[in-house]
Amino acid sequence: MRLRGIGKRYGGGPWVLSDVDLDLDPGDVMAVVGGNGAGKSTLLRLMVGLSRPSAGRLENRPTATGYVPDRFPPHERMSARAYLVHMGRIRGLRTPAATARADELVQRLSLVGGAGTSVRKLSRGNAQKIVLAQAFLVPSALLVLDEPWSGLDAATHPVLAELIAEAGQAGGRIVFTDHREAVARAYASRLCRITGTRLTEEPASPTAVVELSPVGEEQIALAGQPGVREVRDQPGAVAVFVADEHRDDLLRTALSGGWSVVGVRR
Amino acid sequence: MIALVRYVLASVVHSQRYLPPYLVFLAAMGILTSNDHGPLLPIYAVAAGVALMCATWLTIVVANADDPGQRAITIVNAGGSGRVLVASVIVTTAGCVVLTVMGLFFPLTSGTHHLTGPDVAIGTAAMLTAGCTGMAIGLLCARPVIRRTGTMVLTAIGAIFGCLLIPGAPPMNTMFHLLAGDQRPAHPTVPMVTFGAIAVLLLGASIAVTRYVVERRD
Repeated sequence: MRLRGIGKRYGGGPWVLSDVDLDLDPGDVMAVVGGNGAGKSTLLRLMVGLSRPSAGRLENRPTATGYVPDRFPPHERMSARAYLVHMGRIRGLRTPAATARADELVQRLSLVGGAGTSVRKLSRGNAQKIVLAQAFLVPSALLVLDEPWSGLDAATHPVLAELIAEAGQAGGRIVFTDHREAVARAYASRLCRITGTRLTEEPASPTAVVELSPVGEEQIALAGQPGVREVRDQPGAVAVFVADEHRDDLLRTALSGGWSVVGVRR
Repeated sequence: MIALVRYVLASVVHSQRYLPPYLVFLAAMGILTSNDHGPLLPIYAVAAGVALMCATWLTIVVANADDPGQRAITIVNAGGSGRVLVASVIVTTAGCVVLTVMGLFFPLTSGTHHLTGPDVAIGTAAMLTAGCTGMAIGLLCARPVIRRTGTMVLTAIGAIFGCLLIPGAPPMNTMFHLLAGDQRPAHPTVPMVTFGAIAVLLLGASIAVTRYVVERRD
């Protein structure tokens, strides 16, 4: 997917974005950072086709797209499962597959009350889980998440990171925003900043490769730990690609979670 | 598209907002047709007038079923706002068919009438004409086009009364005078087909304008 000279203004108002050039390849996990009202949500809405660019063009926009908007007042009266099954069917799943996937996601995101709860009775954090779940029902070639961590409890952060990592490994392009830059840097392989109306890419922090082998019966899941960008299986071990500043945290977590360190390289 | 239609329908049914237009329709029919033993066509003309208002209302209910946040999700999942618009039109059409059936047979329960085949045909055509015209107005007044509730309601009411009361306004005003007037033709097939065709054209134009506005607004 390519953005070429994209600009956006509403009516005759000032330009919100201008001259945005961006290439997204399968497997990219890109964070967009910027202050409040910088135009992050506008850029994301342009990417999913909810908004039309006032200038420039968007090339090769994938049709299989998942989207999590920045605000979602859940007025849906149906149950979480019914809602997710509807969304899954709209994206082309058959009812049994949609139901199975909805139940799986609800369980992984540990929705309080389970899949049978009515969506509008959910708290903000649990409603956010439903909005996230609908975006991950079907593998997407483009996954656009506006402030996906907002309202989520700490226990769900690694689950979302894991879902994002899985989507990236399945060949999806993931774009997300977060107002906390540390969060954005921890989970993204690329980072873009909006200043004024311009988008500039900044080098993401360097990646370290940590090789680990399992020890004992149970191992803690590595995908989804802060900073982990990819986990590759190797014979008798795994190679974990992690943001350099999270290397020590990962080693600590891994050593106490049933893994042995084989090697670390940068 | 079937999945999308099912979702829109489920969303409307769960919201229960479809009930007021139907209840108002039944109440109005009860008041206007009870103990009437005259010819059916003037009654169907009145029913079509009420159906115009209720079809507009129903269209707005269906088009507004998703709040803006959910609408964004539905559009992305469905692959475009055009598909969501088509699904809304399909659900509303089904709703208008229900209104038509209610309008055709309610007068028979509230008064004594002799029902003939041509009456049913003309009544059906009148109700469907009203339904299509109501949908055309409703689509242009609903939230995807007009965002403020007050403006939405006033525009819809203005359009409905304009359609019914402006002398010679096709299809509703002219159809009302044809069916309820004193010089009723015995077989008004040609004008009824014309009214139906005008209503369908209005609906088509309304869908096109709605799509144009929605595509270019954001």
